Amino acid sequence: MTDGHLFSNISLGGRGGTNPGQLKIYSGGILWKKQGGGKAVEVDKSDIVGVTWMKVPRTNQLGVRIKDGLYYKFTGFRDQDVVSLTSFFQNNCGITPEEKQLSVSGRNWGEVDLNGNMLTFLSGSKQAFEVSLADVSQTQLQGKNDVILEFHVDDTTGANEKDSLMEISFHIPNTNTQFVGDENRP
Amino acid sequence: GSMGSDHRGAVKTVGDLIAYKNVNDLPPPRDLMIQVDQKNEAILLPIYGSMVPFHVATVKSVSSQQDSNRTSYIRIIFNVPGTPFSPHDANSLKFQGSIYLKEVSFRSKDSRHIIEVVQQIKTLRRQVNSRESERAERAT
Repeated sequence: MTDGHLFSNISLGGRGGTNPGQLKIYSGGILWKKQGGGKAVEVDKSDIVGVTWMKVPRTNQLGVRIKDGLYYKFTGFRDQDVVSLTSFFQNNCGITPEEKQLSVSGRNWGEVDLNGNMLTFLSGSKQAFEVSLADVSQTQLQGKNDVILEFHVDDTTGANEKDSLMEISFHIPNTNTQFVGDENRP
Repeated sequence: GSMGSDHRGAVKTVGDLIAYKNVNDLPPPRDLMIQVDQKNEAILLPIYGSMVPFHVATVKSVSSQQDSNRTSYIRIIFNVPGTPFSPHDANSLKFQGSIYLKEVSFRSKDSRHIIEVVQQIKTLRRQVNSRESERAERAT
């Protein structure tokens, strides 16, 4: 495979759930096509600013962050794919993938990290979940300590999840110093 | 350090309960819908294409409602420090500076599933809470 790697069972994750498809990673960048046609994601190599790997239940997830702040998550890689793709990204894009860890402890306390459009909730420095602020339709401050994020209700983008996230809220105790007086607070 | 002395009392608190130890301990991925894992005392929530686990001991309350379009809504409220009788209060010193997930709402077209999930969470929560309070009582 001199001109790249082709993976036939890779799903793209996002607001509406996951969609299965085919992913091609080649010298020019990344191309993902939804199974049966429709949605496609094309990323030029020069637009990639960061790549991450994360072990998720029974498989691996590739995160690709691009220049404009968008972040794509592709799931379905075997351990040996991680090895071969890591060297591919290093040799072809000059990017060394970072390793992230998934929190499965089930705790509801941790830290909030804002990076580009993504809000990440971390527990014990491991990622519990991520949401995109681009999908947030409204934010509200409730009382002095609670921040509510409301998500767009979208029936059109091929959502395949049965239960859809509508609202999420965080409690920021007075003892937290991260967001005190921070105007970028979510 | 000060963290080391936290276990001196040897009383297990809610904060010590863990849903899963390893990533592959999670139940096999099924449909992206709210699931209850009785064995591991966890609820799994579909967030951005991933199933995100929460130990049932972090749940304060759960409720559902249905609108006129037959769409169901489920609201899960988690324990946060500062609310009366919150089991986290003993812990909030330990995790000082943390941010808490306080509440999540989902909508669903499957009202039977939502009603079932609410019942399962309530039952599991009751079981775990009574077990933990018994354990705390024995320890004092």
